[in-house]
Amino acid sequence: MHAFLAGFGLELRIIRAAPDAFIPLVTAPVFALIFLSIVRESGRPDLQADALMAPVLMTLWWIALQHAGNLITGDRWQALLEPLIATPASLASVLLGRITALMGFGLISFFEVWAIGELVYGVSIPFEHPGALVLTFLVTAFATAGTSVAFAAVFVMSRNAYTFTNSLSYPLYLLGGVLVPVAILPGWIQPVSSGIFMSWAADLLRASLKAPPIDDLWQRLGTVALLGAASFVLGRLILFHVMQRMRAKGELAAT
Amino acid sequence: MTTAAVEVEEVRRVFEPRKKPPVVALDDVSLSIPVGEVHGLLGPNGAGKTTLVKILSTVLLPTSGSARVLGHDVVGETKSVRPHIGIVFGGERGLYWRLTGRQNLEYWGALYKLSARETKARAQRLIDRVGLAERADEKVETYSRGMKQRLHLARGLVGDAKVLFLDEPTTGMDPLAAREFRTLISELRDEGRTILLATHDMVEAETVCDRVTLIDRGKIVATESPRTLGRVISRFQRIDVEGVDATVLGEIRSLDGVSGVTEVNGGGARIEVDEEGATLVVLARVVEAGATSVKTSLPSLEEVYVQLIGDRGLEL
Repeated sequence: MHAFLAGFGLELRIIRAAPDAFIPLVTAPVFALIFLSIVRESGRPDLQADALMAPVLMTLWWIALQHAGNLITGDRWQALLEPLIATPASLASVLLGRITALMGFGLISFFEVWAIGELVYGVSIPFEHPGALVLTFLVTAFATAGTSVAFAAVFVMSRNAYTFTNSLSYPLYLLGGVLVPVAILPGWIQPVSSGIFMSWAADLLRASLKAPPIDDLWQRLGTVALLGAASFVLGRLILFHVMQRMRAKGELAAT
Repeated sequence: MTTAAVEVEEVRRVFEPRKKPPVVALDDVSLSIPVGEVHGLLGPNGAGKTTLVKILSTVLLPTSGSARVLGHDVVGETKSVRPHIGIVFGGERGLYWRLTGRQNLEYWGALYKLSARETKARAQRLIDRVGLAERADEKVETYSRGMKQRLHLARGLVGDAKVLFLDEPTTGMDPLAAREFRTLISELRDEGRTILLATHDMVEAETVCDRVTLIDRGKIVATESPRTLGRVISRFQRIDVEGVDATVLGEIRSLDGVSGVTEVNGGGARIEVDEEGATLVVLARVVEAGATSVKTSLPSLEEVYVQLIGDRGLEL
């Protein structure tokens, strides 16, 4: 727990000190405006809530890929990884703490898009199932954090992690059903999407903003949590093996 | 039997860079450092100092051989080793530049499972100890190189380590700060800590180390106290004389054990001997010849270093 809290506190301080951390909070309202304009111009006001939720999920994904995914790589290039490994703290716990802080930060985008919808178009978020909405956000943030640990462990092996993360963002928005529900994507994509927790989270999020009762809420929440936890466990395993490999090859410090 | 603080047995480390031949960084290195000793690891760039420090710090695996810190294996028992060690690597990296010095220390302290209160208190003590009190709440990116180095040192101490590994810790420090650093090392020794100091600074090694290991091309050349190392080549002793004429100097030049006589400006001469016992013979002769000044001197650690490792200049 000490390691988790140390990582959490560190990341909050870094966010406060680094203006570039706020980029996703600048883009989220812009995306909200674009998506709202599209659905309104298309005569689909029923999709306005979906258009507001998409930028929030995109923000979480963006942070997971661009920030969280590069945490170990960044530490390695700044010669911070070796001293960290040499402490009694668990690297995975420090990492999870840092990523959790990033996810919490990313959830600010929810309030931003809410404000943008109200201020620009007078569109409010329909809190039809507020409890389910909050739970979905929390479980989604947890699952995204877990997946980010796996990203970070994999990306540190690449010499061009930034290119990798840039290329991955939009395919994952699509496969994760962030804006377009997976159900209306081509049939062959759907089995792939069902293995991505974000597709379940996005559907649940949209369902929690609509009046009809949510089918299988707990089961679907459980699926999101399970997929996120599986990613975290897988990420820890990858992380362990990657660190062992780097210790063996002498690659913990980038030169 | 007392457990050594650091025990290294036949450690070999080979790096295998892509498309390049393997590099032997450490070649069957064995070393034992008792608890409470300040041990210098002295050698030129590329000698293997950092490699050994990294292996002992658990961040690099040896290719073969074994190493233990306070009795714990650095490969198989990392969880037992890490709470007891502190590391300071040289260079400007290794700190969060956008955070303040204090924030950096508090983060690293928290990784040693200290309570928030203890972390803050310890960070403050270390900030005072390394002389960063006035700048502790400024971002590290505004620090000079020497200040960053002092913060590195504080970071290495934040876990209250029993064994400290310092790799070129005074890089970038001004002479005054370096001198204060050496005082700090003495204080740490008085507190019972064991310190392995990797350096290529002869003065530093000579001033603060109880023993020094000379390392070159991955092999240990010698391990002795700085003074004993000096005696190793005491047969190369120097005798500086004044007031001795050229005829006498010519006689001395032909004595057994005299390797060279160099006349210097102002009428003096430096006589070098390369055999034990030759010094006494030379001294007797120059006194008899009416020398007005006679001075003998042991070689400095730097001269030992050059004698044993060779003056390779920038060659690796």
